[in-house]
Amino acid sequence: MILKTSPEVCGMGHSMKRKEDLRFIQGKGNYVDDIHLPGMVYGQLVRSPYAHARIKSVNTENAKKLPGVLAVITGEDLAKANLAWMPTLSYDKQMVLATGKVLFQSQEVAFVVAEDRYTAADASELVEVEYEELPVLVDPKKAMDPDAPVLREDREQKNNHIFHWEVGDRKATEDVFQKAPVKASVHAFFPRCHPAPLETCGCVADFNAATGKLTVYMTSQAPHAHRTVFALVGGIPEQNIRVISPDIGGGFGNKVPVYPGYVCAIVASLTLSVPVKWIETRSENLQSTGFARDYHMTAEIAADRDGKMQALRVKTLADHGAFNAAAQPTKFPAGLFSICTGSYDYSQAFCEVDGVYTNKAPGGIAYRCSFRVTEAAYLIERVVDVLALELKMDPAELRRRNFIPSSKFPYKSCLGWTYDSGNYEAAMKLALDKIGYAELRKEQAEKREKGELMGIGISSFTEIVGAGPAHTFDILGIKMFDSCEIRIHPTGKAIARMGTKSQGQGHETTYAQIVAQELGIPANDVTVEEGDTDTAPYGLGTYASRSTPTSGAATAIAARRIREKAKKIAAFLLECSENDLEWEPGKFYVKGAPSKAKTIQEIAFAAYTNMPPGMEPGLEAVDYYDPPNLTFPFGTYVCVVDIDNGTGEVKVRRFVAVDDCGNIINPMIVEGQIHGGLTEGLAIAFMQQIDYDESGNVQGGSFQDYLLPTAVETPHWETDKTCTPSPHHPFGAKGVGESPNVGSPAAFVNAVVDAVAHLGVKHIDMPIAPWKLWQILKEKGVAA
Amino acid sequence: MGQKIEKTFSVKEPLDRVWDFLSDPRKVVTCVPGAQITEQLDDKNYKGTISVKVGPSVTDYRGEVQIARLDAQNHEIEILGKGQDVRGRGSASMKMSGKLRALPDGGTDVTSVSEINVVGILAQMGGRIITEVSNIMFAEFTKRFQERLQQSSEAPPETAEVEPIKAGSLAWEAAKGVFRGKS
Amino acid sequence: MAKKQLVRVKVNGRDRQAEVEPRLLLIHFIREVLQLTGSHIGCDTSHCGACTVLLNGKPVKSCTMFAVQADEGEIITVEGLMQAGQLHPLQQGFKEEHGLQCGFCTPGMLMSCYALLKNNVKPSEEDIRWGISGNLCRCTGYQNIVRAVQFAANKMAEADKKPEMAEVAK
Repeated sequence: MILKTSPEVCGMGHSMKRKEDLRFIQGKGNYVDDIHLPGMVYGQLVRSPYAHARIKSVNTENAKKLPGVLAVITGEDLAKANLAWMPTLSYDKQMVLATGKVLFQSQEVAFVVAEDRYTAADASELVEVEYEELPVLVDPKKAMDPDAPVLREDREQKNNHIFHWEVGDRKATEDVFQKAPVKASVHAFFPRCHPAPLETCGCVADFNAATGKLTVYMTSQAPHAHRTVFALVGGIPEQNIRVISPDIGGGFGNKVPVYPGYVCAIVASLTLSVPVKWIETRSENLQSTGFARDYHMTAEIAADRDGKMQALRVKTLADHGAFNAAAQPTKFPAGLFSICTGSYDYSQAFCEVDGVYTNKAPGGIAYRCSFRVTEAAYLIERVVDVLALELKMDPAELRRRNFIPSSKFPYKSCLGWTYDSGNYEAAMKLALDKIGYAELRKEQAEKREKGELMGIGISSFTEIVGAGPAHTFDILGIKMFDSCEIRIHPTGKAIARMGTKSQGQGHETTYAQIVAQELGIPANDVTVEEGDTDTAPYGLGTYASRSTPTSGAATAIAARRIREKAKKIAAFLLECSENDLEWEPGKFYVKGAPSKAKTIQEIAFAAYTNMPPGMEPGLEAVDYYDPPNLTFPFGTYVCVVDIDNGTGEVKVRRFVAVDDCGNIINPMIVEGQIHGGLTEGLAIAFMQQIDYDESGNVQGGSFQDYLLPTAVETPHWETDKTCTPSPHHPFGAKGVGESPNVGSPAAFVNAVVDAVAHLGVKHIDMPIAPWKLWQILKEKGVAA
Repeated sequence: MGQKIEKTFSVKEPLDRVWDFLSDPRKVVTCVPGAQITEQLDDKNYKGTISVKVGPSVTDYRGEVQIARLDAQNHEIEILGKGQDVRGRGSASMKMSGKLRALPDGGTDVTSVSEINVVGILAQMGGRIITEVSNIMFAEFTKRFQERLQQSSEAPPETAEVEPIKAGSLAWEAAKGVFRGKS
Repeated sequence: MAKKQLVRVKVNGRDRQAEVEPRLLLIHFIREVLQLTGSHIGCDTSHCGACTVLLNGKPVKSCTMFAVQADEGEIITVEGLMQAGQLHPLQQGFKEEHGLQCGFCTPGMLMSCYALLKNNVKPSEEDIRWGISGNLCRCTGYQNIVRAVQFAANKMAEADKKPEMAEVAK
């Protein structure tokens, strides 16, 4: 139970209005493209039209001659400085600017720098590149064929296989499958999609030749990690690099990788000693920056006739594009995909993933995926429904029979994860009651008699976030701790800085609320800063729903350290022993004599003006938090759909989302996150795909074809919660940002399949666009 | 991005005259908006260029044309074309089969099946635009074809002004076509 | 290069002018020439609406206009919403109802909502959703934006009932 502080203090549990809003609603945000520095020039990339081709020549003469053009950088130029290639976050390497060949349509080939945007655009048209087309590989299933074109000539092994990864006991799982009376399987494709935050990626690289300092303003979800990468790759001393991540217009994982545009802008600035701005267009963003998913998955469940699931077997083909640039912890080439046992208690499981190269843009980990948890949760929730169909059992009942019971937590899954806490039955019960499940099933039966198509889809997902403990997690070798530094001023106000970086999650408010909770200093008196590597303590950034579990924890621990020192000061001021003191948010008082008290403000003042003898002045603390475990938010989503059998259009009639993320800092902000994530899940389920034709042309390379839901398509979301705190987190919180995107695609797809299951449909792949569904209805003879 | 386009049109000229014209690339090229032959390599292979303008954007392709099959008996012709954008923005290839049939009224039916494959930026803008642009170019082609046929077939091929089809109209027609849907 | 042309506009009540290339987009004119960076660029196909401003009272996507087309016109951007140091009821509504997260779509969204409320003082939820269907948001799922507009509509209706209150920008 978290003690609720007063509205003035506004600690945890309050729906505090956001402090950051004031500048955004006045149009006074400071996004990267808003930055204007004296002498600043503009860079633009020249990109390959071909998916696979040899570069025969790059002619930059005409581009260089255009008045206003300062430089044109090619791959050959970068190669001279050993910068044509850079490491990726997956220990592969990626071309910054192409040399020799290009490997995906829209790959970066040259970088033009000019006095203004328009001249840069003109100049990029004047760069002439001669290509010799090569055979294109876009089908990952063909990537391992003996006659498949070998894409990566730079690697030792001359094939398109990136990795094979497996976990679990293959033999023991096989044994269970042999004996099991009931088996169900599904082949589920999670299409390639893209997070498409409304602000595209970009930077202003500012090298000051007089001071030797390089400042990079960039759209970065992980400024410190990026600074270290620039230092290692560029050979620039790390103390001379400052990365500033200002206001970011949405991240969703898109702003974690290092993109060629950043490197080119830095090189240009180092060369020209002027600030160089590079901002990509939306088309460039969709076609070349970190995509998400593209997992071809097969899942099989072995069960007994009562529906008790015994074993799970999963095999996945991962399409990584031309370079393995997926951003995930080192030991996990398939991210946290092995959470695919989900909310269920399996005695055995086995999971294997093979990653391959294709002529497509690199990426894979993005779009609120929690490191492939979206893929895993989708798969398990789909195959469980397929099993329910096989057993002719109600899908809610099947889940209930197989949930990990709350008594079994902490629960060690057979694929190696120790779930911290969970109460799946309670979340599902709340969701089903709220949606009126029994009534809906009755209505569905009646509608079926009349030939009307209505479906109910359930998704009871378990998430895994908060990466992560140093013994298992690192990115490029850097352990995945996070940090907080708090300083209390003489007048009792505070400043707190963290190693994370908000892109809309409301950290300026929520972190202040944590400090308020722990110290009783009103949240309005606490300034929160992130994103400037010169001032913020080192951290790994914000993605994978990790901020609250890591930096949030560090904030609480740092605040508690301050409280410990404050207690000593209070004892000194009150002339008593520390043991005589009690704490309530905002003050220490003498046990039994509450009027003998010192407020935190008085204590802060004393820390600078009247310290106990021998005590170091000041009142501050810093904590680098190495989480003991990950956290496991969970929930049940229920979706009701009505299908128009004339158009194949799916109307989401109702959607109930019950989330459990443990103790909540700001309910209003959590609810907002859920709304946003559910909307992304809706988009993924029904309208989004980045596809490639057989020549490697991107289909879905602009908002004409890659669709974002508007307010009209987006239904009204009904949210609720249960609260099962994390036993190992300093204030029992788990993180929640990605849960809605993790849990909802299965709810949508399960609902649509449920609507037509009686016609013999077992599975429909996403995106379930109207034309696709209509063809199925026609095939089944029920299209209008 | 592959597109298959089938077109049929008829001309009032007799089959032999039409066949003569159609089997001579230097004559046919005068009907293709924005195209010209730059070099003849042998009796079957030519080098050429074509300029395609959509709105303010011009794409210049440079490539080869090959008469893959010329069947004077059955009046069938197959032409292969392949070109690269001179600025390195993509490529296009085309296989066109043409068949002539004499009509009872003395005229000739021309049936063509073209398979077009576009790689590059143009292919992203959508098959919609490619289809519409192809339709417009084909309409212009048949118009010029009929006009040139009516002129004397002995006159040497004109060094016609190589002018890409009017920019604005192409874009507007293409856009209208998209909104109107396929006909 | 085409000869530069003089563009004269009234922006947020102030007369501004500059010599610009005819091909300069209105959004670039606003952001870079006038240095009003509140309006944003979110796409390159006119879909997202982050660049929405009011031109002569109507909401326009300023990425799909040339600056020269706005000559002699009157533009209101998000920077012009506040009146006499007071937040516009829409701005208040967005804050009260958590109608923004990353804030990138917010300026364009505010201008579309402003235009919506000018034409419809008591919009239904459906009216609001249609009214903002030209503005994409990735963070909020639109639900709280709808609440924000309803908040503003109510506030403005109350203000109209009390003529002695400071008149909010029409």
